[in-house]
Amino acid sequence: MAIAAVESASLTTSPKDPRRRGSLGGVLLWVVLTLLIIAPVLSFLILGVSPRVFQQGSQWFTLKYVRESFSSYSGQGIFNSLWVASIVSVLAVTLATTLAWLIHRTNVGGRRVWAVAMWLLLMMPTWMMTLGWSDLLQPFGGAQALGVNTHWFYGEFFGPLGIVIVLTSAALPFAYFIVSAGLQGLGPEFEDAARIHGAGPLRSFQTVLPIIAPALLSALAISFAETMSDFGVAFTLGYHAHFPMATFMLFSAISNFPANFSVAAVIALVLIISTVPPILLQSRVMRKRSYAVLSGRTRAPRRREFRRGPRVAATAGVVFVLFIALGVPILGAVIGSLVKNLGIESATGVHFTLTYYSQVFHPSVTGKSLGAPLLLSNQLGLVVATGTGVLAVVLARRLIANPGSWSQRVTDVFLLGSVAVPGVVLGVGYIFFYNIGFVTHHVVDIYKTLPLLMLALVANAVPGQTRFMAGPVSQIQPSLGEAARVHGAGRMRAWRTTNLPLMSRVLLWGWLLTFTKTISELAISQILYPPSQEPASVSIQSYLANYDPGTGTAMTVMTLFEMLAVIGIALAIYRLVTPEGWRRIGWSGVQS
Amino acid sequence: MERGSVVNKSARRATSVSIRGLTKRFGVKSALDDVSIDIAPGTFLVLLGPSGSGKTTLLRCLAGIERPSGGTIAIDGEQVAGPKTFVPPERRGLAMVFQDYALWPHLSVRKNVAYPLATSSLAKGDRKSRCDDLLERVGISHLSERFPNELSGGEQQRVALARALAAEVGLILFDEPLSNLDADRREQLRIEIATLTREVGATAVYITHDQSEAFALADQIGVLNQGRLIQLDAPETIYRHPTNAFVARFTGVAGEFPVRVLGEKEPNRVEVALPFASGYAIGASTTEKLGPEANVRLFVRAVGVSLVAPSHGSGVCGVVRDVAFNGHGYDHVVDVGDGFSLTKIYAASRFERAQNVKVCFDPSSCFVMDSSREA
Amino acid sequence: MTIPSKPKNAVRKRITVLAIAATAAAGSLTFVASASASSNPGFVLYSSQGYDQASVNAFNASAPGFKVTLNDNSTGPLLQQIQAEGSNPTWGVLWVDGASAFAQLDNEGKLLKHSVPKVKFNPQGLANVPKDGSFTPTGITVTGALCYDSSQITAAQLPSTWAQLSDAQYKGLVGMNDPSQSGPTYPMIAGLMDYLGKYKSGSTTAAVTAGEAFYEALHANGLVVNSTNGPTIAAMEAHTISMATIQSSACYGAELTNFPSMRVKYLNPSIELPSVIGIDGKQPAIVRKDAQKFVDWVLSPAGQAVMQTADAEGDSLFWPVLKGENPSNHLIPKLASTHAISTNPYTWGPLETNINTWFDSSIAGGV
Repeated sequence: MAIAAVESASLTTSPKDPRRRGSLGGVLLWVVLTLLIIAPVLSFLILGVSPRVFQQGSQWFTLKYVRESFSSYSGQGIFNSLWVASIVSVLAVTLATTLAWLIHRTNVGGRRVWAVAMWLLLMMPTWMMTLGWSDLLQPFGGAQALGVNTHWFYGEFFGPLGIVIVLTSAALPFAYFIVSAGLQGLGPEFEDAARIHGAGPLRSFQTVLPIIAPALLSALAISFAETMSDFGVAFTLGYHAHFPMATFMLFSAISNFPANFSVAAVIALVLIISTVPPILLQSRVMRKRSYAVLSGRTRAPRRREFRRGPRVAATAGVVFVLFIALGVPILGAVIGSLVKNLGIESATGVHFTLTYYSQVFHPSVTGKSLGAPLLLSNQLGLVVATGTGVLAVVLARRLIANPGSWSQRVTDVFLLGSVAVPGVVLGVGYIFFYNIGFVTHHVVDIYKTLPLLMLALVANAVPGQTRFMAGPVSQIQPSLGEAARVHGAGRMRAWRTTNLPLMSRVLLWGWLLTFTKTISELAISQILYPPSQEPASVSIQSYLANYDPGTGTAMTVMTLFEMLAVIGIALAIYRLVTPEGWRRIGWSGVQS
Repeated sequence: MERGSVVNKSARRATSVSIRGLTKRFGVKSALDDVSIDIAPGTFLVLLGPSGSGKTTLLRCLAGIERPSGGTIAIDGEQVAGPKTFVPPERRGLAMVFQDYALWPHLSVRKNVAYPLATSSLAKGDRKSRCDDLLERVGISHLSERFPNELSGGEQQRVALARALAAEVGLILFDEPLSNLDADRREQLRIEIATLTREVGATAVYITHDQSEAFALADQIGVLNQGRLIQLDAPETIYRHPTNAFVARFTGVAGEFPVRVLGEKEPNRVEVALPFASGYAIGASTTEKLGPEANVRLFVRAVGVSLVAPSHGSGVCGVVRDVAFNGHGYDHVVDVGDGFSLTKIYAASRFERAQNVKVCFDPSSCFVMDSSREA
Repeated sequence: MTIPSKPKNAVRKRITVLAIAATAAAGSLTFVASASASSNPGFVLYSSQGYDQASVNAFNASAPGFKVTLNDNSTGPLLQQIQAEGSNPTWGVLWVDGASAFAQLDNEGKLLKHSVPKVKFNPQGLANVPKDGSFTPTGITVTGALCYDSSQITAAQLPSTWAQLSDAQYKGLVGMNDPSQSGPTYPMIAGLMDYLGKYKSGSTTAAVTAGEAFYEALHANGLVVNSTNGPTIAAMEAHTISMATIQSSACYGAELTNFPSMRVKYLNPSIELPSVIGIDGKQPAIVRKDAQKFVDWVLSPAGQAVMQTADAEGDSLFWPVLKGENPSNHLIPKLASTHAISTNPYTWGPLETNINTWFDSSIAGGV
């Protein structure tokens, strides 16, 4: 394969050469990626021009669906998504950089809390955010229950304003973690040099900005891709705001029967291709530069000490931003689940109740308790998070090796493009590919089984988690592993004793992230879950959509708390099991 | 693939190294080109060269971190790298001190030093006492429970040194270990490296681009340029009889000028006319057969230049441009006309800036070489 | 000095082993599979009906000699799966509300013809049995029922005709679902087009135009469109709207559970929405035989009993298609009083995509 060939450019010709083995590993990796992501996605995309491949039309080649996708309504959706994603990504990166600088480089208050808040934000799906916002803002909603009239804002929220707010909140944590990693590798000497030569704090920060440009651009690219592929907001807010977005157009195309997979395929292709410009921009600026370098020599940077007044202002600013992004949705959802008949103006005022919570496990609809689905979702989360973690580490190492090289660029484009693939495309693609007669008879027969759902969920999580890990993993100096090898450690021991400890926190949080993302994932779960094994997100969705929004919201809140409990347990185990030295390394590899 | 047998690590026994025809290519670029070196046991070999000369690549090939494209490497007679062989680093029985220290940030100083002992056959108690000994020897016992990022650069490099000594291997590699240290630490640590390595009797391969460091440490110096080994000799030989213009330049010249050969005086001595002093001729050494019209340059070692007052009879006229006190005398920069100058000219007494002086040359420290042959 | 003391290390190791073991155990639970040892593999039922699990359980308990596996999901994902499975189908039987999907499948030649059980249908049942017998109605609900919140608006204040919904007094108070996401909604729109255009046969253009004009008038009068029943009913709870044209069973269900002030009025006409069952004609013979047994059972007294009781606040609130049977709940009036009309799925099914697209861009959202 081309990539393996590039890597083995300076090989000897010995057939038992270990480097050949290394490139064999590369081939194996791409085989796995093909089965996992490439084949199913391509199976879907090819329908854009060749519907007959999977019996979705009579033509082997046609451009009619391309034209259809760009026609008035659907084309409007594509256009809207592009400009919203552009605005959101710039906003998210700006906010994230400011927050990251405040939290890591100044003495702003409550620092530990903000890091946790960012994680919570990262794990919260956008549909949950929208749910919270509407529960809070609607007439006779949560805000009204607390005595705050929000009627004036409700209408405004269901429009581009609300869309931008929620999508920026969703993109914020991605951008924050990437920029944080970049900042933490930035030694204090650069700012010091600027300050000495007369720059004020703001200007000195502007001076060092180009140094963390790789991190900023990476954050921009991923915010853009995540926003383009977001489904939750397009489906809820976008719909009600009469603001069509590409993902919703895609969904509409396949919601009718017969579904128009071909138009959906063209839209999906547009989503994927739209991520190429940000990557090109990023790689142009970065060239062969990599992220900062971590070793035993890295010191924690100095913090800027604000005086009391500015400190209070800065803290208030951070609180405000995080409240808007995270606090409001949580508040709305919690109140919505506690208020009986949310939105009903009753003679006796607003009632707070636990009725909905009692229905979560003993619901009025027979056979639709949350118990079994939640257990299944947790099991799924466990397996998927572990599988994704392993694959993501392998890919992340590959992504950061040889910066600027051909193989690295291909991997980078592939990963970011995959982030832009909406879940529903992956899900349907899995049906196409894994239901092919040849595949079921000669490769593997797993259609309509739990393993298939797991694979699809892993495929969904791997690209995002790989990019997430790439930054911190890239900060690990190669000489640490070399030193281990030279001083007597074999390959495995060297990795286990020198790389793994430095990545342990990143691995842990990556695992937790995928775990929670799996539990809340809806599109793939809905189309691929096997008979009688319905995940929690699907159960919750049927309640919200059809049966009983109050109980649905209560289920949402319960699931959220259950996820938090698992996070707590995982962190406790980590603390108990890992040596002290491991915990000295912060999540981005620097002692924080 | 044949794996070489594990080099016996349990006894400290200086290792011999034999490098034959070593080549390494990165794409079309040749980082190492047919380098051959034999290192006798217990030798302290310094590889000297500018960046890009291939010295780092050679060291990494020796360590097993890099695979050569061609040639062989043998340690103690056992081939560790060759067309059909590649012994991985952990089985080569060596140790290495890195330029960036490469201490593991999640392990304490003690654990860093003890790392190479994990695969040894020592009992636990013996390992502990070995660690204690080493920490004591390099002077950092009081830091044993600290973590690397709590230490200064010099302290970290000492830990790295202790770690390299821990496994009692016969071959220690040094990758520019002093280049990240401050000047005063550098001197201290250089002495420790020099003494400790000889104390334990190991063979050392040390790379640097700093020629004074090389001369201070080495039993043998290998000068590399653009992937080729130019000269491999004792330091004195390299200093006094550089093979070509590159070696001469790289090992410290006060100045170099294009000159006209006037004639051969004795075997290996010629007379040359200086471009900036018409009529003035000096003697210079040469190892080549040079005709009168050859394209030659004169390389002058600082040690062969002396300054005298202008009233002195012989010598080239010059003007002092800069003077610096070096503790036991003065180093001068002297302009000799036509844009030529001489640097680092030592005099026990001080000549002021803009002062006129006379410059005298000692033929044994002046070399004439055909500068078209630099490789 | 501080070499980790032995006990602490041992405890740490123990916890690690325990955590890994627990993780592995929990993960492996997902792979507990039940093997079916019999030679007749049975079939997979794709269904969105609220009583499907109870039906399958009851049928399997009757020991028919094979096993029915239930793939329960919303109608949308079910149909996507069927379409994506293409010529290598896993589905054996489909059971959803609305006949237009079946008309489409029949046109593609995918249904088993003449699979209607030999039972005595009542007139509304008969009206929904297709000529080639490729699918069978199992119950009737009504779509386009005017569901209203009696605490916000009294029966006397309600409109008496469809046209009156566009009157100024109802501005912004009327809601409905989105046909591309709510299964029962397109049949209502199709039925209204059929009725408004006085459609008999031939070209549907005039009927479609009449229907478009009707909805555009509603849209101009502040029609509130939500994706499905859940948000629509929530909007009524929030007093955003006071009435909505949705499925009858959803109204009765809301009234029986969390929304006691919900009532139903039937405008003239309302539209019949049958729950329909059909068999995949591409399955091997033994599977088709098994499927037929199941379909026969559904229309038997045993099957009908399960249908009417298993989802008492949801899908069980339907009008039966068999002679002599009554609806399960006293809330449900006589079908004749609902002025329900049936529509031809073969006529209106193929138009669904275009009409839904028009609706999404002109009525629900878009430029």
